[in-house]
Amino acid sequence: MAKIDRLGWAEGVCFAAYGVRVGVRVNDPELLRPLTSLFPPGSKLTTSPLVDQLYSLWLGKRRGHALGFHLLYAGVTRRSRTRNLDELLAAFEADLRLSVAAAAPRRVFVHAGVVGWRGRAIVLPGRSCSGKTTLVAELVRQGATYYSDEFAVIDERGRVHPFAKPLSIRDGAQVRKRTAEELGGTVGTAALPIGLIAFSAYHRDARWRPVALSAGQGLLALIPHTVPVRRRPNASLAALQRAVEGACVLKARRGEAEGAAAWLLRHADESAKGAA
Amino acid sequence: MKPARRTEGLVVTELKDEVLVYDLQIHRAHCLNQAAAIVFKHCDGTKSVEELAGLLEREMGAPADPDHVWLALDRLGKAQLLRQRVKRPPGRGRLSRRELVRRVGIAALLPVITSVVAPTPAEAAATCVSDCTGKPDFTACSSTAPANCSTCVCMGGICLGGC
Repeated sequence: MAKIDRLGWAEGVCFAAYGVRVGVRVNDPELLRPLTSLFPPGSKLTTSPLVDQLYSLWLGKRRGHALGFHLLYAGVTRRSRTRNLDELLAAFEADLRLSVAAAAPRRVFVHAGVVGWRGRAIVLPGRSCSGKTTLVAELVRQGATYYSDEFAVIDERGRVHPFAKPLSIRDGAQVRKRTAEELGGTVGTAALPIGLIAFSAYHRDARWRPVALSAGQGLLALIPHTVPVRRRPNASLAALQRAVEGACVLKARRGEAEGAAAWLLRHADESAKGAA
Repeated sequence: MKPARRTEGLVVTELKDEVLVYDLQIHRAHCLNQAAAIVFKHCDGTKSVEELAGLLEREMGAPADPDHVWLALDRLGKAQLLRQRVKRPPGRGRLSRRELVRRVGIAALLPVITSVVAPTPAEAAATCVSDCTGKPDFTACSSTAPANCSTCVCMGGICLGGC
């Protein structure tokens, strides 16, 4: 038994997300409620005591004037030690998502924004801060269905499944969470084949001049955003291959999101007509 | 000289006109264009450079030259996709891509290999922050525009690097 197991754990919960079983235990039952809202979209509570990943959260106690540290462990590895509860919850949420993305057995997680448009998905891979969420939000405002602003969850047939957490929209130093409904859109539920993959990053004053990529170049460009590619290269590449096969792949630097979003929706329509 | 490609520790994905090769040992992925893919496919240790040039010519439907094959072998060797890197015979100087295009006039015959390093899970989902307060050093950050995220990092709670 590890030292951490001997601490006094008051309550715990198990859930499964995308085939990954996760357990969470806390020393204060009050902590469970805010935690459950941070579980990945589509998580289901389970009763099985067997888990692939176990998180332990220790809420620091006040002793006189001093506040003890809040602690977060993933397995036996300490991930966070802080006196700020929001910071602890943010670290838990980020680590949990990454664990699920890396370990999901039948899905390939690609760091990307996704929207649905007329039965096909538009996938926007990119690093954080590249303007992905802004573009996804604008596409939703212009009528696309919201799927994700963080991960494209791709199955072995190359279709994208929703990972519809609230959008994290940056406003200066602040991050605001907005639902698709608040932006006037809806959330997709069905898996969609990919119609368009657009690699775009925001640059002030950039002109939207997209360049088409070949299937091979598109597949290669997806690799740096693919979470499980080192752990499961065969499955990842097979899923990505199917994803790019029927899709139009392009890259461009973009200025403001409005023009780029309108162009993408128009182009997705034209590609769909061409494919038909 | 009969060059041979590596067969172990690679995941080969064939696309319409290209081949994507993932190296399991060094976690690098390479996209081979059609000309490079043809040389890679036939480079099994039983064919000479001249024979490979003949195959390249037949499959591309354009006049190919042993120099095209040598250029492809150079690039395949550099990408560690050959069992052994090949050396050009003495007297056969290195030709640049420009010289090859000038000689044959068909750019499609030029072998091109593009490579990327596969990320770890944390790298693939790396998060860039706009506020460095409480963030570990070297977290990618941006204080003005998302474009900064590739060059700016948090240091002691401040976003630095020309941001």
